[in-house]
Amino acid sequence: MTDAIVSLTDVHKYYGTYHALRGITLDIRAGEFFSLLGPSGCGKTTLLRTIAGFEDVSSGTLLLDGKDMARVAANKRPTNMVFQSYAIFPHLSVAENVGFGLRRSSMDSAAKARAVDEALEMVGLKGYGTRAAHALSGGQRQRVALARALILKPKVLLLDEPLSALDKKLREQMQNELRRLQRQVGITFILVTHDQEEALIMSDRIAVMFEGEIAQLASPQDLYRRPLTRRVGEFIGVMNVLPATVSGQEADIAGLGRAPVTPDQAPSGMPEGTAGAGIRPESMSILYDGETTTRRTASGEVVEVFYYGDMTYYDVVLPGTTKPMTISMKNVAGRPVLDRGTTARIAWDAEALVLFGDT
Amino acid sequence: MKLNLNWLKGYAVLYLVFLYAPIFLLPIFAFNDATVIAFPLKGFTTRWFADLTTTPALHGAVLNSLFIAISTAILSTCLGICAARAGARFSFPGKQGIIGFIMIPLVLPEIIVAVSLLVTLLQLGLSLSSWTVILGHTLICTPFSIAILNSAFATLDPSMEEAAYDLGETKWSTFRLITLPLVMPGIISSFLIAFTISLDEFIIAFFLTGAEPTLPVYLWGQLRFPAKLPIVMALGTILVAFSILLLTLAEIFRRRGIAKAGGRDTGGFL
Repeated sequence: MTDAIVSLTDVHKYYGTYHALRGITLDIRAGEFFSLLGPSGCGKTTLLRTIAGFEDVSSGTLLLDGKDMARVAANKRPTNMVFQSYAIFPHLSVAENVGFGLRRSSMDSAAKARAVDEALEMVGLKGYGTRAAHALSGGQRQRVALARALILKPKVLLLDEPLSALDKKLREQMQNELRRLQRQVGITFILVTHDQEEALIMSDRIAVMFEGEIAQLASPQDLYRRPLTRRVGEFIGVMNVLPATVSGQEADIAGLGRAPVTPDQAPSGMPEGTAGAGIRPESMSILYDGETTTRRTASGEVVEVFYYGDMTYYDVVLPGTTKPMTISMKNVAGRPVLDRGTTARIAWDAEALVLFGDT
Repeated sequence: MKLNLNWLKGYAVLYLVFLYAPIFLLPIFAFNDATVIAFPLKGFTTRWFADLTTTPALHGAVLNSLFIAISTAILSTCLGICAARAGARFSFPGKQGIIGFIMIPLVLPEIIVAVSLLVTLLQLGLSLSSWTVILGHTLICTPFSIAILNSAFATLDPSMEEAAYDLGETKWSTFRLITLPLVMPGIISSFLIAFTISLDEFIIAFFLTGAEPTLPVYLWGQLRFPAKLPIVMALGTILVAFSILLLTLAEIFRRRGIAKAGGRDTGGFL
């Protein structure tokens, strides 16, 4: 790819005998919001720190803006990092923190002060320059860390779980602002997160990592609708997977019955024989008394009810299966929440199925 | 339960009396107008303090002790910075063992340390001087310095150093601009404690001192002359006041350091 700002080829990283990164090959485009998503210990932070230069690669090549970074230390790379702990220097003022990276620049002090003011204004902290850094709130620290990293106008901004320390409301607000900021400055952002919702909301593309390998690299929509493996499907949102038998263009699914399938619904290749059939909670619905439908139907017993206010999640066991599947329903007016133990009729669509080679 | 609590209170009071009563006797007899250290008191005087100013041998001992204490404090704090930084940042084979061995002088009987050092120095053919005392004092003060600095370095977020490095600073300027200011309270605290320990250390100084005695060694020599006892009491009073001042300062700096680095206090020496 010609417009790749970060390019990794078969990158491995060992810590002693521990194999942290197992052959990462990845191109990140200039100006995109890219997320590394995975459970803890999957190597996503190691990969980020490798790009930053805090860890060196054991083998493979890492190019930043077309240049090999093998012999370039972190302080000479065109990257800047926002740390999980923010790492705001507590003995310096907000302005001194933000302007820290300009210490070595040739700008005169007036230009530096102007750059600091602009950076603070960009993150919504205009006029906070003289405050002591240790007196800031969590959200303000986050903004100072962002301003400090962006003031050097890096080619790539690296964000290591920057929102995990914030409470839910503030996190959602910062997700918005980060996305807006990224569009505004046009710098490539690489975000490390374990929160799949956060990755879906913010990213142009997401790399899902398990055990030091990239399991799937796709846009949020493709990742959610067409997961390559059952594991990716279950990691991104909720995926009900039922045992199925596939023969040709037809799948026989436990509890749901027969349905036609197309190769498009098997992202990792059409399985033959035993397979797993995945379906998302919102692709099924519960039919209320007297309700009719042209969709496919099945029935099952409601074993658990989770009321979320706007939504209700039902755990339903289909006949011939043991593992309950989750169905989500919008709580619209006139639609009562069902009780546990109710036998419910279910409507579903064959087009919503995803087939996996593993059951 | 009520009875138990009273017992504990009584015990605590007795403990404190036992601990501090002898020290309270120092100022009492330092201002007592008699050469014999005994009750009843004879009257108030400051002449023992005045006598202090007219004893040149004492002045020499004080200066010698100050030189040794300052040198020891600088040396053990520098060694402590290196060890604590390595211990907090890096993991290497045998780390636990090495740190353990460094800390052993904390619990070794000083007389053993003193005798072994003396034997070693004589074998090496080195003559005894203030420098040999500094060597011995550095040996026993370094573990204290490491213990204090360890807590300063351990509460320092490793991302701080990485952030400065990431923003274009070199390893050395990162240390100077970020690490050093953030652990400075620990450094001051370590310096003051090593200084205090060295200043009133007797056994090692007694064994390793050359022609010029340190203050505690000089004091010990004066005890043979009963007439000098009140002067010793006066000097002791000054030393106790000075030590308490230094330790208080050290603790204030240690706590301030923890607060600055945003950590929680996990206990120190005081």
